[in-house]
Amino acid sequence: MPVIVFAVIALTMPFWFPLVGGYAGLDTKILIWAIFAIGFDILLGFTGYLSFGHAAFFGVSAYVTGLMLLHYSANIIPAMIASVIVTTIIAVMVGFLTLRRSGIYFSILTLAFGEMFYAAALSIFSDWTGGDNGLTGLPTPELFSMPFKENNVFYLVAVLAIIGYYIARRIGNSPFGMMLRAVKSNQTRLEFTGLDVKKYKLSAFVISAIYASVAGSLMVIYEPYVATEFVHWSTSGKLVIMSVLGGVGTLFGPMIGAAFMLYFENVISAFLQEQWLLVLGLVFMFIVIFLPGGFVEGAQRLKRAIAGKAGDGNASKGASE
Amino acid sequence: MSNGAYFSCRNINAYYGESYIVQNVSFDIAEKEIVALLGRNGAGKTSTLRTIARAHEPSLKSGEIYLDGVALHEMRTYQAAQHGVQLVPEDRRIIPGITVEENLILAQTEGKPGWPLERIYQSFPRLAERRRQEATTMSGGEQQMLAVARALARDLKLLLLDEPYEGLAPVIVHEIEAILREVKKLGITTIIVEQNALAALKLADTAIILDTGEVVFRGTAQEVLDNKELRDQYLAI
Repeated sequence: MPVIVFAVIALTMPFWFPLVGGYAGLDTKILIWAIFAIGFDILLGFTGYLSFGHAAFFGVSAYVTGLMLLHYSANIIPAMIASVIVTTIIAVMVGFLTLRRSGIYFSILTLAFGEMFYAAALSIFSDWTGGDNGLTGLPTPELFSMPFKENNVFYLVAVLAIIGYYIARRIGNSPFGMMLRAVKSNQTRLEFTGLDVKKYKLSAFVISAIYASVAGSLMVIYEPYVATEFVHWSTSGKLVIMSVLGGVGTLFGPMIGAAFMLYFENVISAFLQEQWLLVLGLVFMFIVIFLPGGFVEGAQRLKRAIAGKAGDGNASKGASE
Repeated sequence: MSNGAYFSCRNINAYYGESYIVQNVSFDIAEKEIVALLGRNGAGKTSTLRTIARAHEPSLKSGEIYLDGVALHEMRTYQAAQHGVQLVPEDRRIIPGITVEENLILAQTEGKPGWPLERIYQSFPRLAERRRQEATTMSGGEQQMLAVARALARDLKLLLLDEPYEGLAPVIVHEIEAILREVKKLGITTIIVEQNALAALKLADTAIILDTGEVVFRGTAQEVLDNKELRDQYLAI
């Protein structure tokens, strides 16, 4: 059911989004970030591992897609496949090294790895990445000679977001998802039960990196340009903020967080001008202090309050009768 | 090399950081034997159990542990568990956030499974009633039942029980005692650590007494019950 609701919301975005001040293209960007955020929630929400290095997977994937489009073929299929393969290999290596630690040490390690990729993109790989200028001059992406622009890109992104959400929910409800939640609660307990927790943690890490990779690749297909900002730690930070705003571990919440943040950044900022970041900071503080479960928790509380009121109303009606 | 005993630990030395906790402990256990590991607080009983279960702490620095001819001392925690060592720790280690049944399924995910769920529910009808309930919301006694049931859900060769009666109401203690008598009837090789030495001795065939991390006595459970001097010296009961 939630997948159908999401599918309807996503696929009808071009019709209703302009009514709330959105514009064509922003809907595509929101769904790309939604894919990124769902994947991140498989790691953070399920296992509790907070990565500050996911920009590396997003960025590397974007560069690989860009380079494939530029040097191999404008067809998006080989570009996307190559970017997912490269990102997966990197994620296995980074995950293997960083998942040896947990908590703050894991976060710092992933941040350090992310910054290494950023530094490498600006230095040793600058001939490939375009350094500070980013990767420019990319051809219009195609799918078997059909140019990929605006609406086509939107529907490709929407379909992949729906599939991504469906898979993430399936993972969440599977024995594997149960194992990941158990990893979050206590790894030692799992080991005493005879489970090798490392492979579950690494699988979650790699799956979330694959989502980041698909999102990074789609970002280049949407806008054929790779900015160095894609690999910068601030991209990882933005992802963390989206997840916390929406509700970590809920899958749907981080997508709402992504939509809220991009909407704020691109629509509300027109009214608030330079102050929009300040207001966003205040919203973030409010959420962390009063609604640690994010927007999803807010919606649940509201639902309970309404149900409670309705219940009271019925009870008093019953009493008066 | 294994010395032919079903379970054997030889000259095991284990540390918590710099603290030398398990000091040169050696003992053998026959198949189906139930051993009560006794001693005062701080004698190293729980640490010995954790060392056998290959917990990260205390860390085993030297010595050998064999179960059914296989070297446990070369294994990691999950590998020892997959080989049939099941530790039911003092805090029961029920996994929060998931149901009773999910806790049991999880135990059967890797390695050889033990009892099927139907058999577990027949033996523990209270768990069957609560199969859909989040496990950590159950009472202490029910959680203890689940911890034992979870051990049985795996291919179990050596059951390590750490303070199974700790913090439980007397009525629940009787229930757990009944379960452990069932475990005894099943012939599962068991090491039990218990502050309540009398309760442990009622169940056990053999008693091993530890003092400051070393074995100071090994004999039958009855010998300890009959020897007041020994009990006064090492157990204060």
